[in-house]
Amino acid sequence: MIEVCAADAIPAGEGIRVDGDVPVAVFNSGGTLYAIDDTCTHQDASLADGWVEECAVECPLHASCFDLRTGQASGPPARKPVRTHRVVVADGIVYVELSSDPAAVPTAGSLVPS
Amino acid sequence: MTTAAARPASLLPTLPGRFYADPALFALEQERIFETQWLAVARTADLAGPGAFQTAGAGRESVVLVRGRDGVLRAFLNVCRHRGARLCEQPAGQVARTLQCPYHAWTYALDGRLAAAPNLSRMDDIDRAAYGLVPVHLTEWLGYAWICLAASPPDFAAAVQAAVAERLGGDGAIDAWSLGTLAVGRRVTYDVRANWKLIIENFMECYHCATIHPELTEVIPEFAGGYAAQYYTGYGAAFGDDVQGFTVDGTGGFPALGGLGADRDRRYYAVTVRPQVFINLVSDHVIFHRMTPVAADRTIVDCDWLYAPSVIAGGADIGQSAELFHRVNQQDFAACERCQPGMSSRLYAGGGVLVPSEHHIAGFHAWVTEALGDAVT
Ligand code: FES
Ligand code: FES
Ligand SMILES: [Fe+2]
Repeated sequence: MIEVCAADAIPAGEGIRVDGDVPVAVFNSGGTLYAIDDTCTHQDASLADGWVEECAVECPLHASCFDLRTGQASGPPARKPVRTHRVVVADGIVYVELSSDPAAVPTAGSLVPS
Repeated sequence: MTTAAARPASLLPTLPGRFYADPALFALEQERIFETQWLAVARTADLAGPGAFQTAGAGRESVVLVRGRDGVLRAFLNVCRHRGARLCEQPAGQVARTLQCPYHAWTYALDGRLAAAPNLSRMDDIDRAAYGLVPVHLTEWLGYAWICLAASPPDFAAAVQAAVAERLGGDGAIDAWSLGTLAVGRRVTYDVRANWKLIIENFMECYHCATIHPELTEVIPEFAGGYAAQYYTGYGAAFGDDVQGFTVDGTGGFPALGGLGADRDRRYYAVTVRPQVFINLVSDHVIFHRMTPVAADRTIVDCDWLYAPSVIAGGADIGQSAELFHRVNQQDFAACERCQPGMSSRLYAGGGVLVPSEHHIAGFHAWVTEALGDAVT
């Protein structure tokens, strides 16, 4: 479990990025918290910089939307889903339990020195 | 050629021909005049909602104006901070949330901040405000967005508002026309093949009126005498006795705008706001010109005809009303284009002359040469 932040630290319609080997984004959509991989599966964009609307986040770069419940991409240019992670709130603190599935790697623009 | 010593007192010199034709001098004017002064570049009502944008030329720069999600209108240099691509190519449009560079997709929030970019989260040393769009000063007045590229712009009240007040004979005198609330009834963009100063000089004098403006001198007979309203301060040129309105055929116009007293009725006022705005005021509408010089011999002029919103919303026929100044514009710009080739003639190397009813134009020439400074003396 990764400790993220205080439960009231993410306003509705916003998201925050949690750094790590595979960065994760936690969003508040209409009062419910969701966690998905932060990196868009199209190119290396941070979905936490995107826009939350109706249980989906729109990628800030090329506007693919990801369903916060399933991780599915709404349509091109992103094709692969992002992983979803379980969110736990305990004693006012948000935790994320990482999925054990392998993370997708962006299909474009991934020639980044790491 | 007339030398200074031989010149009769009735005549004052114009600027030499090269001021109207030399690309190097034009570049200097762009730098020292159009990149330092306040310029009216957009009607704010044309940028009504969040995400509405327009681009405008200002000196040698391109500027993008965009209304934020907070309702605030802002201006930025239209250049991407990454590798310098022009951000917005369209003259106007609507974006949802961001301005995105078409090259590598650096994505800017409408307040200019860098909102996203490929791999940005791996570059956590990048300050998103510092690498946001570069802001340009913007002030709203008379329903227009005025921008200034100077690092510290001239005081707007002193540089712009005072020029209008002086011509109309009083602080706030222009408020009576409530320009900010008027609706654009017609807009015409003229592509004029003439130097911007020829257009200003033409606008400032009426020595030509009797010769090239038959319709205008029908409506304002005193213009046939050659003295422009701008020759005086606080002076409105009177309509002819048998003229009902400021229309192409002298027929009636529309009711006077709300704030105008009877003393302003049946009169025409004209104001030049250096370096690129002309305002023409009559009781039932306003004609507002904005110039954008694009080359020594080419100037784009956007002209708005502004009416009471009720006139436009009611679908009134503004044809006869707007046609009068449209003809004046065509006649004036044709005259300016007729002069442009002469600016490169050997005859005009030392310039031409101003007759007494044009002597006030010498003040404009002095302003230009002072702005250009030592480069032209
Ligand atoms: S980077 Fe997300 S859609 Fe292209
Ligand atoms: S030049 Fe604009 S993103 Fe590269
Ligand atoms: Fe004229």
